[in-house]
Order: sequence, then C-alpha cells, then structure tokens
Amino acid sequence: MLDDSLKAFLEQGVAINVGTRNARLEPNASFVGAAVVDADRRHLTIYVPAVGAEAVLADLDVNGQAAVVFARPEDDRACQVKGTFVSARPANDDEEAEVRRQADGFLHQLSLIGMPGESSRTWVVWPAVAVRLRVNGVFEQTPGPKAGTVLA
Amino acid sequence: MNLGLEALAPCFQGLIPATLYTCSADGVPNSAYLSHVEYIDPSHVALSYQFFNKSRRNVAENPAALVRVVDPDTQQGWELRLRLERSETTGPIFERMSLRIEAIASYCGMKGIFKLRAADIYEVLSVRKVPEQPGMPAPHGQRRAPDAVFTMKALHDLAVRLHTAEGLEPVLDSILAGLEKHFGFQHSMILVPGEQPQTLVAIASHGYPSRGAGAEARYGEGITGMVAEARQPIRIAGLMRGILYAYAARSRAEAHGLLTDELTIPLPGLASPASQLGVPLLARGELVGVLVLESETPYRFHEDDRATVELLGSYLALAIQNAMLREAELDDAPAAEAAPAVVPAPDGSPANGRSRREVAFYQADDCVLVDGEYLIRGLPARILWKLLSARQAEGRAEFTNRELRLDKSLQLPEYKDNLETRLLLLRRRLDEKCPDIRLVPRARGRFALELSADLSLVSRA
Repeated sequence: MLDDSLKAFLEQGVAINVGTRNARLEPNASFVGAAVVDADRRHLTIYVPAVGAEAVLADLDVNGQAAVVFARPEDDRACQVKGTFVSARPANDDEEAEVRRQADGFLHQLSLIGMPGESSRTWVVWPAVAVRLRVNGVFEQTPGPKAGTVLA
Repeated sequence: MNLGLEALAPCFQGLIPATLYTCSADGVPNSAYLSHVEYIDPSHVALSYQFFNKSRRNVAENPAALVRVVDPDTQQGWELRLRLERSETTGPIFERMSLRIEAIASYCGMKGIFKLRAADIYEVLSVRKVPEQPGMPAPHGQRRAPDAVFTMKALHDLAVRLHTAEGLEPVLDSILAGLEKHFGFQHSMILVPGEQPQTLVAIASHGYPSRGAGAEARYGEGITGMVAEARQPIRIAGLMRGILYAYAARSRAEAHGLLTDELTIPLPGLASPASQLGVPLLARGELVGVLVLESETPYRFHEDDRATVELLGSYLALAIQNAMLREAELDDAPAAEAAPAVVPAPDGSPANGRSRREVAFYQADDCVLVDGEYLIRGLPARILWKLLSARQAEGRAEFTNRELRLDKSLQLPEYKDNLETRLLLLRRRLDEKCPDIRLVPRARGRFALELSADLSLVSRA
C-alpha cells in the first residue's frame, strides 16, 4: 500500500499532525515528531509527544479512528493517511534517534522557507508514545484542485 | 468570556500553515492544512473555502472543528475549538479574504483557479496553548521587538522629510529613502496612474538594481494591480509560498522573453519576495498611486500595522498630490516664461569624437527607440520627440513646462494632464537607458535638454 516513494516522503522529516475525534464527534489533535512505515507497508507507527498525547490516545482507545497529515513546507507537498488504531506503547530509547532525526529534518524544512528553525527547538518530541495504525487509505493534499484524490 | 483571540493576530498570517481537524457525521476524522485563518472579532474567525474538499463536507454535516495555529514570533502553538456558524459569499469579510487570494493567484497566472468560494465564519468556543509546542518568551516582554517599525517617531521623521521636500521628485525620493531610513524597508516603489485607463506606471523605485521607470502594471494583476483595483492595502506574508515562488519565477522568465516583442519595461521587484505590502495612495477619494514594499524576510509586515499603513498611505498621497498641484500652478506663473536658450547649431560632424545615436519615433506605436532599443512610449515619447525636433530645427536647448502644456500636438489631457509625472518618468528613463540625452531642471517649470552624442532623428509611420 505504501510504496517506496510514499515511504520516503512520510519518513523524510516533514510536518506531521494527527487528528482524532471523541464520542461527541469533536476533533482532537496532536503534533507528531516522526513516522515510520512498517515492513509490511500496511502499517504506520507515529510518535506522538507524550506531553500532548492524552486526548488523542483517549479517542483512539474508544473509537480507533485517526487521520495523519504530512506536509513538506519547502514545496507544500502534502498527503493524509487515514488509519485505524492498533496499539500504543511508550517509545523505546533506541527509537529516539530516528524521532529526533525526522524532527530536525522538519526544522530544516522550516529554515528553507525562511523560518528560523532553531527557534522551533522548543517544541517537544520526546518522550513519545509510539502509536501503531493500520493504513486504510492515503489521499493527496497538496493545495490545488487535485487535493482529495486517492494516492494509495 | 474573553478568549484572548486578539493577541493571536500574528498567528493568522499563513506563514506557518494552520491545520484544520474535522469529523464526518459517521465519525471519520479528517486532518488538513489550511492556507490561512482570518481574525474576525474577539469570538470569531473565518476560514477560506476555495475547493470543495473533505473538510468542507464534514463541517456541513458536523459543525465541530479544531484549528491549530503557530505564532511566528514566539513559535507557541495554539488550539482553537470552533463551531461553523455561517458562510458568506459577499460582504467585507469575503471581499478582504478574496482580495488576498486573488492577488496571489494573479502572480501565478492562476487567477480564477485559486478563487475564494466562501468565507466560512466560525465561532471560537475555546482557545488553549498546545502543550507539545511551547513558545519562547518574547524578549523584554514585548510581543515583536524586531519589527516594531511603525513608531510615532518614524512617522514624524518621515513627515518632516515630506514637509521639507520641494517638488514632486524630491517628495517621491524622500518617501522611498525615508521608508528605508526610518522603517527599514529597503525595497520599495511607487506607481502612478498610467495614460491608458486601468493601468499604472512606475515612477520611482528604491533598492533595486534597475529603476524600472516607465514599467507598466494593469489593474487586477499582481499585488500592485490588485491594490489599485480594490483601493485597499494588501499584505502577503508567506501565504501559499510554494505556488507563489514557482509561478513568480515562471512569470518573470516569460516577462523577459516578451520585452523586445511587446515594447515593455519590466517592473522592478525582488525575484522571491517573502513578504509584500501594497498600499493605495488615496487623496480626496482619488487614487494618486500605489506604494509597494517588498522584503526577503517572511512575515515582515504585521496585521497590527494595517491601520498605520493606511494612515501613511493617505499622508503620502496628499504629499504627492500637493506636489503635483503646486508644480502645475507654478508652471503657469509668468516667471516660468523665460526666453528659451539657444545653443550653437550642432556642427553635424562626427569628427568631434562624440558617439552617434539614432533616435526613431514610431508614429503608429507612439514610441521612441534609440539605436533600435525600446525607450518609452505615449506622452513621454511625444514630448521627447518634440524636444529633440525643436533642438534640431531651431537650436533650442531650454524649454518650459508651460509651452509643453500649451502644445496641442502633444495631446495632453485637458484635465489633470500629469505633465510633471510624465516629464519625471522620461528623465529617469533617459538616465537609465540613454544617458547621452538628459533633461536637466534649470528653474521652476524650466529645464534644459543636454546631449553628449550626435543624434540622427528618424520619424517612421
């Protein structure tokens, strides 16, 4: 489902945010530090900063619905991954390096568009909760008339 | 309940894209990026509806939404819980949002594609700080120390410059130099209404390699044309950056290719402006011109500055209008009627070491070319041709504005002829493209035509 090109984009170090919803159909959201595609290409693990994870994890626990949006500030390329919650666990120490690599990549992206990336280092990406999702669909979100079309 | 929404105005610039979270009636969440969030009042924001997408479908079914924005000054993330209240397709909010989107679209040659369909107005139910995106404290407790440019002192200093400037040219130069000295705006230009309806022509610029005097812009095109059309300030800060940059590069390349065919002068401008601010110069209800400021720094112009910028625009407009009226009045005074100076007849021999240049007037196109290169068209072209012809036939070297104004062959408009701006434009264009021909002010309403090349004048149909 997630081919090499999509995997490379999702793991490149871009802006990642996850949206969920509660029982009253009200959205909740969190910034995401990193994402890693599983070997089976049908699952995705996102690393949600523990400090902001409470509402999102509660929603996932109840209804399992997630929408993760990825965007590359440099050229506004963006896509959305719709998924179903599989599991959540505290991220392991050996995953920290990858989370920080991707988060740094995002800060570098911000510097390419003139934002002082250094200043965003206040954002918290660790410790994180590793949330595993089953991927149901990937949708184009680059601004323009093609936004919303199915990518995978 | 005071949500403190006013203090979040810097978040609503689109520099760091906002994210919008919605949920369908059957419980499927959706996450999307958003070009910008517009502040409406202390308890409402508006989101732009440009394409019929999943977010739009969701809020039609389920009005609950969440938007996250980032303060570009402090990097603090903010979460706004929203409820869709209504959609507007007319009115001031719609017009304001539409204008900004169209200004950008027109850059990209995509006017009509990136079009605002509606301004969706949301009630803001709650505002909270995003815990995983804490910000830096603003230095010394100030919100935006680096860019607090519109101070009373700066406005006062600029006012002094304008009061002491005598004549249109010093006023224009004072404005642009003052904008850099007092406000730090290094790149700026002023355009005034062109001869053709719905056009503007660049008359002064500051901080660019090329002055671009005589460059034209049409109403509705680019930030300049949009400002003229709407008579409202337009500020662009990082909005749809990718599109803007890609298409701006393309349109500039195309503009270069068109130069020789279309006899146009490129507008001065930064290749990749990260922020732009266009200000209509309105005096007594009349559009006197458009001031454009550009910066390579993203988010250079702040929403908080809008009122000051509008005030500045009206002040500059009055200064320009007054300078033009005063010059026109003084041109009519008897003192301006001096006996035209006569120069010795040119010896006509190239042996004097001077270069020789061919100046051709194309009657059908109403334009002048020097050595086959486009110089200028319209009234400035007719004026130049008259001056050069008079010098060749009568040996005259000095001329008055008054005689130009009375010369029917120049076809000046009866009302508001803008002769001063056309002469200034001609002088600057000559400085840039053909310094061998110079118009040198001598006294009020009087100027000399100086040549440092031998000219061959050719009139073509």
